[in-house]
Amino acid sequence: MALLQISEPGKSTMPHEHRLAVGIDLGTTNSLIASVVSGAVSILEQKNKERLLPSVVHYSSSNPIVGSEAKNMQIKDPKNTISSVKRLIGKNLSDIDTKFYSLDLKDDDGVIGIQTNQGIKNPVEVSSDILKKLKETAEESLGNELYGAVITVPAYFDDAQRQATKDSAKLAGINVLRLINEPTAAAVAYGLDQNKEGNFVIFDLGGGTFDVSILNLSKGIFEVQATHGDANLGGDDYDQVIFEWICKGNKINVTNSKIKQKLFTLSREIKEALTNKDSIKIHETINEKIDIQCELSQQEFEEITKELTKKTISSTLQAMRDAELSVSQIQGVVMVGGSTRMPCIQNAVKEFFKQPLLNNLNPDEVVALGAAQQANILAGNTNDNLLLLDVIPLSLGIETMGDIVERIIPRNSTLPVSMGQEFTTYKDGQTAMIIHVVQGERDLVRDCRSLAKFTLKGIPPLVAGAAKILVTFQVDADGLLSVSAKEQSTGTQSKIEVKPSYGLSDDKIKKMLEDSFNLANEDKESRALSEIKIEGSQLLEMIENAIKADSDLLKEKELNLLQETLDKLKKSLESSDRNNIEELTKKLNDDSQSFAAKRMDRSIQKALTGKSLNSLEF
Amino acid sequence: MQFNIDLDRLQKSYRIIQAEIHPDKFVSASQIEKNQSLIKSTEVNDAYQTLKNPIKRARYLIKINLNSEENNLPLPPSFLMQQMEWEEHLESISEQKSELEKFRLLINGEYQKNLSNLESVCDVDKNWDGAMRILNEIQFIDKLNYKIIQQINLIETK
Repeated sequence: MALLQISEPGKSTMPHEHRLAVGIDLGTTNSLIASVVSGAVSILEQKNKERLLPSVVHYSSSNPIVGSEAKNMQIKDPKNTISSVKRLIGKNLSDIDTKFYSLDLKDDDGVIGIQTNQGIKNPVEVSSDILKKLKETAEESLGNELYGAVITVPAYFDDAQRQATKDSAKLAGINVLRLINEPTAAAVAYGLDQNKEGNFVIFDLGGGTFDVSILNLSKGIFEVQATHGDANLGGDDYDQVIFEWICKGNKINVTNSKIKQKLFTLSREIKEALTNKDSIKIHETINEKIDIQCELSQQEFEEITKELTKKTISSTLQAMRDAELSVSQIQGVVMVGGSTRMPCIQNAVKEFFKQPLLNNLNPDEVVALGAAQQANILAGNTNDNLLLLDVIPLSLGIETMGDIVERIIPRNSTLPVSMGQEFTTYKDGQTAMIIHVVQGERDLVRDCRSLAKFTLKGIPPLVAGAAKILVTFQVDADGLLSVSAKEQSTGTQSKIEVKPSYGLSDDKIKKMLEDSFNLANEDKESRALSEIKIEGSQLLEMIENAIKADSDLLKEKELNLLQETLDKLKKSLESSDRNNIEELTKKLNDDSQSFAAKRMDRSIQKALTGKSLNSLEF
Repeated sequence: MQFNIDLDRLQKSYRIIQAEIHPDKFVSASQIEKNQSLIKSTEVNDAYQTLKNPIKRARYLIKINLNSEENNLPLPPSFLMQQMEWEEHLESISEQKSELEKFRLLINGEYQKNLSNLESVCDVDKNWDGAMRILNEIQFIDKLNYKIIQQINLIETK
C-alpha cells in the first residue's frame, strides 16, 4: 500500500500522488476503459488481452460472469444471459417492445426486472456488474486503487437514464467525477489529438444509440452548440432488419428464443461482412427443419435499411438547424461508434456534408480515450486547460391544465442551467400541489417522457391565487435535474416529496448499496464516523486557508463568527461525537456560504482583469 | 448598457469566466466550493444567454430602464391582423415543406427588420415604451418562427 501523504501546514493545495482516474465507455454492445498513463492515453486491456469487454452478464451461479465468457453463454442459456442492458436502463416495461428480447422481463416496482437463476436483476444492477469488472481491470493493470471515473452516456439520454447510469456506478463503488456525453468525449479525443479549431460534427452511431453533436472548438474550450439523436437507434436495428429479411425470404416464423438468438448472431455477422464485401452468400443450417440459403448484396442491404439511415440524417439536419449553422461552416465530421463502419452510413453522411469524413481514430475506442483524458484533467493530474461546455439534449417542462406541457428549460441550454417558475393555488386554503415534470419536445404531456411527480407540501392556506410558489429546476454539469420550491409571500420553504416515474428511488439505491457492502452494524457506525470526520476536517482546512487568503472580504463580525465555529469544530473533531461533528460541520458550511460566494466573485474579477479584454487570447 | 453589443467580446469574457468557475474545476474541492461553483456557473450561463439573445437582451434592458416587468401595452390592430393572417397561412401550408421553408425566410426578414428598429429605439431614442411595443411584436415573430421549424422537423421525422 502507498504511504499516506500529509501536507505541510498552511499550504493551500494538498500534494497528492497521481490519482488513478479512468474513462469508461459503457456501451450497448461493448464497454471499454481507458486511462492516461505517464502522459499517454490508452485503452486498458482485460485479463484475456481483449480491449473490448462485451457488455454481457451471465447469471447462473452466485458470481456473475461478465464479458466474452458471458457472451459465449448467450446461445446456450439466453434466459440467464443479459446483453444490451443499456437499452433497458432508466426505463419501465411499457417503454420497450419485449418481443425483441429473449429474456424474461417483468415489472419490478416501476423498473424493469429480469428473471434469472440468481433472482430478479434490474438494469442498474446489471450495469453495475459490468462496471465492477472494468474497475477490477483498472486496479489490476495499474496496481492502484481507483480514485474516480468519467463515465460516458449518449448525449440523447434523458434524465432518468443518466440518473440510472450514475446509480449503477455508485453501486459498483465508483466515484463518478462526471458523466459526459459520448460525442463530446469523442471530440475531446480528436481535438486534443489534432489541435483542431472551428465547428465540428460528431456523428456517433453505436450498437443501440445514435447521437449527433455540433461543437465549436477553440483554444481548449469545447462548446456544444446543439445535439440531437435517438436513444433507440443503432447497429442492433440494422441486425433486426436483416433478421426480418432472412425470416421473410426463407418463410420462417421464429418463436424459440435459442433459434432467435442464433439468427440474430447470424444477422450481425452478415452486416459485419458487408463492411468490406459487395455481396455475401449465406448458407446456414439452423436445425433439421430450418436451412437458410440466400444472398445479400450491399445495394440491397442499403435499400432495406434506408429508413434507419434516413432517421440519422434527419436528426443531423435538425441539430444543424438548432446550431444555426450551414454545411459550409463545418470544418470536420468525426465518425464515432462501430456502426459508422457501414458503407451505407459513410456514404449518406459524406453526401450530406459534402466533405471527406474524419475516421482516423478507431471508432470503437475514441469515446473511452476522450473520457480518460477528461478524467485525468478532472482528477487534477495535469494542468491542461480544457473546458467542456455541454448542453441539455431535451427540453424540460411541467404539466399544466389540460395535458399541455409548459416548457421550463429549453433543449440545447448550456449546463449548468436553472430556471424558476411561479405557481399559484387553484382553491381557497389549498396547502399542497403536485408538479409533474416531463422531458421532450412535444406539446402534449402524453407524448413526452414523464420524469417525476413532486408533491409540494406546507403551502400556507390562503385564498386561491394568493400563494406564490417559486419552483426552481436546476440541472447540474452531469445533466441531472433537482427541484426546490419556496413560497414567496411568506418565505416558507415548501417540502418536496419526489417520486420518480422511472428508475429507482433514493431509498432503494441506499438499500442496494448497504446490501452489497454487507456491513455489520458497528462497522456501519465507525464508517459513518470516519466519513463525517474527513468531511469536517476538509471543510475546516478549506476555510482556514480561505481566511488566510481573503480575510479582507469579511467584516470583523463575520470573521469572528466564522472563527468561533472553526474552533468549536476543531475541538469536536478530536472527539467521537458524530452528531456534534455533523452539526458543527453543517453550521460552518452554512456560515461560510456568502464568504465562498465573494471569493468566487473575486476570482472572476481577477480572471477578467488578468487578461485585458481587448487582447483576449481565446 | 446598450442594446448593440460586441458579441465577440461577450463570448470571450464568457469563456474566461467559465474557465475559472465551472463545476469541472471543482470536482475534487469541498462541498461548499462545489455548491458555489454550481450557483455561479449557472448564473453566468444565464447572463450569457440573456445578453447573447437579442430578444432576451432587449427584455432585460427594458426591465432595468422601466424598473418593472409589467407589460400591458396592447398590440396595434394592424399587427393583430397581420398575426392572424400569418397563423392562417401557416395552417394552410402545414404539410408542404418547401412552402414552409419559403415562409420561414419571409418571417426571418420580418424578424431582422424589427431587430434593427429595436436597436435604434433603444440606443438612439431611448424610448422604452416604444422598445416594449417592438419587443411584443418580435416575440410573436420569434414564436411563429419556432412553430414553423417544429413543423418542418415533424415532416422530416415522419
